[in-house]
Amino acid sequence: MNLNDLEQAMLDGVHGRAAQWAIDYQRSVGTFFDAEDFVPVRLIHMSTDRETMGDAGIAFLEELAAFAPEERRPRAFATADFRGFDEKTFRFLLPDRDLAAQSAEAVAVLGKLGVVTAHAYVNDHSVTAPAFGEACGYSGTPSVVYMNGIVGARCNFEAGPSSLAAFFTGRVPRYGFHLDDARLATHGFRLDFEPKTVVDWGVVGALIGRRLNSYWSVPAIEIAGTRPTILDLNHMALSMASYGSIAMFHVIGVTPEAPDWDAACGGRTLSPETLSQNDLNAFYEEWCGVGEKLNVVVLATPQLDIPEIVWVAELLDGRKVHPDTTLLVYTPIELREACARIGLIQKIEQAGGRVVHGHDFFATFAKEIRETHGWKRLMTHSVKAVNICEGYGYKATPAAIPRCIASAIAGRVLP
Amino acid sequence: MEIRGHIGIGPAVEGIALAAADNFSTRYDLDRDRGIVSRPSHKLFGECYVGRILVLDAAKGGVASAWMLREMVQKKMAPLALLLNDANPVMAQGAAFAQLPLIDRFKTDITVVIATGDRIAVDPAQGLVRILN
Repeated sequence: MNLNDLEQAMLDGVHGRAAQWAIDYQRSVGTFFDAEDFVPVRLIHMSTDRETMGDAGIAFLEELAAFAPEERRPRAFATADFRGFDEKTFRFLLPDRDLAAQSAEAVAVLGKLGVVTAHAYVNDHSVTAPAFGEACGYSGTPSVVYMNGIVGARCNFEAGPSSLAAFFTGRVPRYGFHLDDARLATHGFRLDFEPKTVVDWGVVGALIGRRLNSYWSVPAIEIAGTRPTILDLNHMALSMASYGSIAMFHVIGVTPEAPDWDAACGGRTLSPETLSQNDLNAFYEEWCGVGEKLNVVVLATPQLDIPEIVWVAELLDGRKVHPDTTLLVYTPIELREACARIGLIQKIEQAGGRVVHGHDFFATFAKEIRETHGWKRLMTHSVKAVNICEGYGYKATPAAIPRCIASAIAGRVLP
Repeated sequence: MEIRGHIGIGPAVEGIALAAADNFSTRYDLDRDRGIVSRPSHKLFGECYVGRILVLDAAKGGVASAWMLREMVQKKMAPLALLLNDANPVMAQGAAFAQLPLIDRFKTDITVVIATGDRIAVDPAQGLVRILN
């Protein structure tokens, strides 16, 4: 990789030991992907959930934080969506693990380094967002695919240590979705049905992710019917990232780099594959579980926004969650407080549901939670969560929020 | 037999392959406490991957692998190396952070030419894999 004078000085240790580690690390990754040089970035987003960081990740951060301040000066603004822990609920979910203490440990060391540990969801634009075309160093897969596809910012997956390195260097290797050509569609899809719910959109993302199965593939999708909402697109995007490592996509006539097929493909001709209602139905059939005892309903991934919380509260109004079923409704703490002010949280809790703030279900030792409670059957409106929870030993059923709530009340998976 | 890939990451190693035409994510597919593949639909379901050279198709899923590989290496619960047809940035970033050998972009489908049980030598600096059987 070509280094400019500043980057070479970082590598030589002139700008401190943290930058020296960081530029060397980024150079090794950039070389792996044939990057010619670096591109400056202003905004960094770090994925720092405690489970994935592990003790090794925390120890590494503490090593950096132990350096004198002049050895670890940042060159970008970084947030970590470290959403804390809902102590009461996590004590119920995992009584033998002190998640609050582990969380505090991570927040403290990130704060010492100068990372803003926000509690919001970065796709809600509640922290400083990148502009169209701006290079950024985002970490979370849902955030990267959202910023590339929906915002039109430019980003690769800069996972954990990689976003940390970008924080100290103010740059990332220029490869992948920083390059014009890499952003053009490589595969076309056409929907011959209209997705009705965010779950349907999540399934569309899963179908595409499974078919493409490569980070370097860029799907362009032609849709029928009503224009999708940001939430619809978000569910589709994070599902594509989950099932197929997809980091960039276009929806013709909807997303900013795809006013038409020609723009999305850069003049190339693609033969779009049709995705049908049968494909959608077949996906749901894979997971099914109808009639089985239901242990837990998880509404998360992404965590719920206020209109969804209103919806859940309405569906539960005057009803009770079955005593053998746990209903977990995840939302960022700021939204939880806003909902509490208008009585929504109380309504859900009176019905026996738990409104949880903090890290997402799948990022908080979900396998241990299953083993602790002897849970097996899980329902969720997140097709991404279905994918992850299967690996943690759950039998998962994807379903829209009303069916999830009705099943939670019945204590079994309803059709 | 020699198989050429792209220049990789990490030190050279020799070991026994665990191969399948399936994809890879540390979070989605592994029980990292027990060192086995835990996703029921994965072709290596139930297999112990610790100390083996994992040979799979594509990296998939989220960002978790970038942090997790280092934790797995430090706890001695990691594969010896990773050979993938198609790595993504997360896997490369994780391998670099963990100093876990990784090579991808082979001239042929690596999951076809290497079988479980093969003894292989992995040289990331040269982007070279040799089957020693």
